[in-house]
Amino acid sequence: MLSINNLQASVEGKQILNGLTLEIKPGEVHAIMGPNGSGKSTLASVLAGKEDYEILGGEVSFEGKDLLEMAPEERAGEGLFLAFQYPVEIPGVSMVNFMRTSVNAVREYRGKEPLSAGQFLKLMKEKRQIVELDDKLTKRSVNEGFSGGEKKRNEIFQMAMLEPKMVLMDETDSGLDIDALRIVSKAVNELRSKENSFLMITHYQRLLDYIVPDFVHVLYQGRIVKSGTKELALELEEKGYDWIKGELVA
Amino acid sequence: MSQKTLTKSQDTQGFVAQFIPTVPNGQGVGQTQRKAAQESLQELALPSNKWENWKYTSLKSIYARDYQTPVVGSLESLEGFSIPGLEADRLVFVNGIFQEALSSTSLNEGILEVHPLKSLTGETAKVFETHYASLIRPEADAFTAINTAYAKQGVFIHVPKNAIAKAPIEIIHLTDTGQKETAVQHRNFFLLDRSSEAKVVESFHQIGGANGLRIGGTEIWVGENAGLEYVKIFQGGDQASSIDITEAKQAKNSRFSIFTTTLNGEIVRNHLRIHLDGEHTETHLNGLNLLDGKQHVDNFTHVDHLKPNCYSNELYKSIVKDNSTSVFSGKIHVYPDAQKTNAFQSNRNIVLDDTANIYTKPQLEIYADDVKCSHGATTGRIEEDALFYLRARGIKEFDAQKLLIYAFAAEVVENISMDAVREHIDRLIDERF
Repeated sequence: MLSINNLQASVEGKQILNGLTLEIKPGEVHAIMGPNGSGKSTLASVLAGKEDYEILGGEVSFEGKDLLEMAPEERAGEGLFLAFQYPVEIPGVSMVNFMRTSVNAVREYRGKEPLSAGQFLKLMKEKRQIVELDDKLTKRSVNEGFSGGEKKRNEIFQMAMLEPKMVLMDETDSGLDIDALRIVSKAVNELRSKENSFLMITHYQRLLDYIVPDFVHVLYQGRIVKSGTKELALELEEKGYDWIKGELVA
Repeated sequence: MSQKTLTKSQDTQGFVAQFIPTVPNGQGVGQTQRKAAQESLQELALPSNKWENWKYTSLKSIYARDYQTPVVGSLESLEGFSIPGLEADRLVFVNGIFQEALSSTSLNEGILEVHPLKSLTGETAKVFETHYASLIRPEADAFTAINTAYAKQGVFIHVPKNAIAKAPIEIIHLTDTGQKETAVQHRNFFLLDRSSEAKVVESFHQIGGANGLRIGGTEIWVGENAGLEYVKIFQGGDQASSIDITEAKQAKNSRFSIFTTTLNGEIVRNHLRIHLDGEHTETHLNGLNLLDGKQHVDNFTHVDHLKPNCYSNELYKSIVKDNSTSVFSGKIHVYPDAQKTNAFQSNRNIVLDDTANIYTKPQLEIYADDVKCSHGATTGRIEEDALFYLRARGIKEFDAQKLLIYAFAAEVVENISMDAVREHIDRLIDERF
């Protein structure tokens, strides 16, 4: 599905990713953990196509295609979805207008007919229920006046609407209370299938109690320094990131 | 415009001569004021960009032209000029001349009076004479004087005590230049008596192959506890220039909301001044400019907080590209008596490329100590984070940009209460990008 090979990237002249390699197969859920500044969010941004980042080397292929060559909208069309760590507020653009434009743009990319107004509203209602997103919120401007938890649930709602193959979750759990975390996790688990894959970037082990990953990787100084199964996350939680740092020095 | 100069300009006479009707209009209302204005013109110079208040707007190209007295124009259909879906009383002017056949004031019949100035007689004329040219004073500047002296036509709206307009009043101006450079003038007067309410939408259009200039004056008296919403839409095109002078005075507990949108124009100057002359008034000043090519728009606004406990909120936005220029100068003047004033002003601009220009000058002058006032101006590109967010959801860059421009404008447009007008402006924005 997603194959990252020796990826190196910098932002504002500072190299953040130093040769990151990761292979994700269809149906797999991977978690990337790491201390602050290890390059977690940079990875998410580079994969989604944010322009502030410069690719210094390496390759990323998504279902055999060169991901790094694509515009952000093409990546979305191909089936990549980034759940933002900090969803952007867009005053003046209603959720309904935003989602209809988005869904139909992605459908067009995939060679499908646009949804009619009726079909769209039905889809919206159905997916809204998965994340228990209030009808009132979808009538507002994008993310404007949403609480932290509502913003994150809104990301998962958009994910459900766009039916991606590969989901990148950039610290979706940060700042979430336990109720919101349960809702988000439940939604993700419902959307898990043999065909689609998830890459969860997180700082906290707690998320992994709710969305159980197949693999856990530790990111440090822009590289994956340790990989394992969910037990690795528990060990990290117990010993802290200093343990990894210590191991690396030794 | 509050620009007075003691040096008599020879240029003024030559320029003014173009506006003197070949057939003198000895009859009709406002004769005393006309004479006073003509006298003022002996003393007033034409604005120059050497003046502080005209620093960024040069009228040289306008002064250089030889405008003709407009031909008597006519119009067969209002399509393309009137606002689709707006149930309104309509007054239509072509080249400054009232078009009776295309106009109708039946919806508000018996509730309020709407007249073309020319037809004022009896009591109505008396009411008019009492107030006319006392707010926009001809001695203040050359354009006001020209307008007061020589504008022949316009609209008088009188909403009597407790009257609530049933439908908005739509005023449509069309300049048809033909092949000659044409100048057209008009003058409005809106008078709202105690506890009355009305909504007015005025639009400006131009057709033909030559440059046109309109000079318009509008005086508005919003009486005690009365409410007026006034929307102005300038869409004359690249060959159309406009000098607009609008002033309003609000009595206590009154509400006034004005929306000034300029969608194009060669040189457009919108002078807007509002005098808050009673306690507990509420005022909204909204502006939106969408400019490209070499278009130049200058919004000069001034709010006088004369009395305590008044609220004013001003929001002007511009979206500019190519070599266009948007100028904003806004002053909030809080007088010593005006304690507990709440006055807010914001000017926000988006420049779509490197060649477009924004000049912004927000000013607060506060002489009372217990007030809440703020002002601010921002000029920037389209928000990159928002653009990326939309693109990450599959929306093409062009469409994402359009969505954001639309949203930027929406914050101003949504303040208009009339659905059909809002939708109309939305459509005009949509056609532009």
